[in-house]
Amino acid sequence: MGCAEFQELLVEYAELVGDSRARVDAHLAECSGCREFLEALQTVDAALAAQFGDCETSAEFATAVRRRVGRETAMRRPSFIPEVLDFVGWGAIVALIALLAWWVSPLIPVWSTTDALSLNTALAAGGAFVLVAFVIGLRSLADLKH
Amino acid sequence: MEQEIRACLEQKRYQDAFDRLLPEFQNKVFRLAFAMIGDPAMAEDAAQEVFVRIWKGLPRFRGQSSLSTWIYAITRNTCLTALKAGSTKKESSIEEPSVAHAAEKSGIEPSTHAGIDVLRYLEELPEKYQQVLRLYYLEERSYEEVSRLLEWPMGTVKTYLHRARKELAEAVARSKMG
Repeated sequence: MGCAEFQELLVEYAELVGDSRARVDAHLAECSGCREFLEALQTVDAALAAQFGDCETSAEFATAVRRRVGRETAMRRPSFIPEVLDFVGWGAIVALIALLAWWVSPLIPVWSTTDALSLNTALAAGGAFVLVAFVIGLRSLADLKH
Repeated sequence: MEQEIRACLEQKRYQDAFDRLLPEFQNKVFRLAFAMIGDPAMAEDAAQEVFVRIWKGLPRFRGQSSLSTWIYAITRNTCLTALKAGSTKKESSIEEPSVAHAAEKSGIEPSTHAGIDVLRYLEELPEKYQQVLRLYYLEERSYEEVSRLLEWPMGTVKTYLHRARKELAEAVARSKMG
């Protein structure tokens, strides 16, 4: 067994037991190169343990996280303004349709009360459909822009 | 603790759940971020970002994996994003800040033993060796913890650690001779 194989074992020196440990120790007693390698390994372990041991966040960490989370929550809080505007808009549409139906009804020649009523209803429904489609289209465009 | 946090989540008490998990996981998340990024100041920024993502994701956490598995997955993804952003910055920066400068900025002193700057040799190792080495010492030399946090098989962790420590020892031995 040469130094290269012994050095592979030396990397796990702390975990060696029994015969393996005895063989490595016997080799170390007579090989200065492998002793230097073991010393270098111990230097590495000590340096990295000192560098990375007991590593914790700074004292302000939790406060900083809570501040960022607070900002995030404030940004995501739902606003009722769009819903209120929607309600006002729909109210205006309904009022407009009612006004239009009321305005159109005297102009239609009256064959019978039932005919006039169904024509007014059809006009109102058609007008409502066009307006609703227009408003939904506008809102979809606005959503796409956002 | 995980049971308490899960109970809060089931009752949709997200603020309570977050108040419990922040002190429980903040150091673990920071150490994983530090191991992956290698810069303590950047790691702390990434760890903050992790907790913001956790806060946003709590209502969607279904509990199919353990809470810690979910948190460490978010940590790894956040760190990968930070590393990508960092490498882009590095490419566009003329003056690259040294590790010593980053450590100094964050209050962590670079460690030298017997006049040898082991950290300098560590920086020369492949990234995966650096990550596994840092985490191994951050997690008090526990192979199991390193394997769990990085989600790498135990055999891979042991192999990388073996090769990384050997390469470092060889570099230190050479510098002592030279």
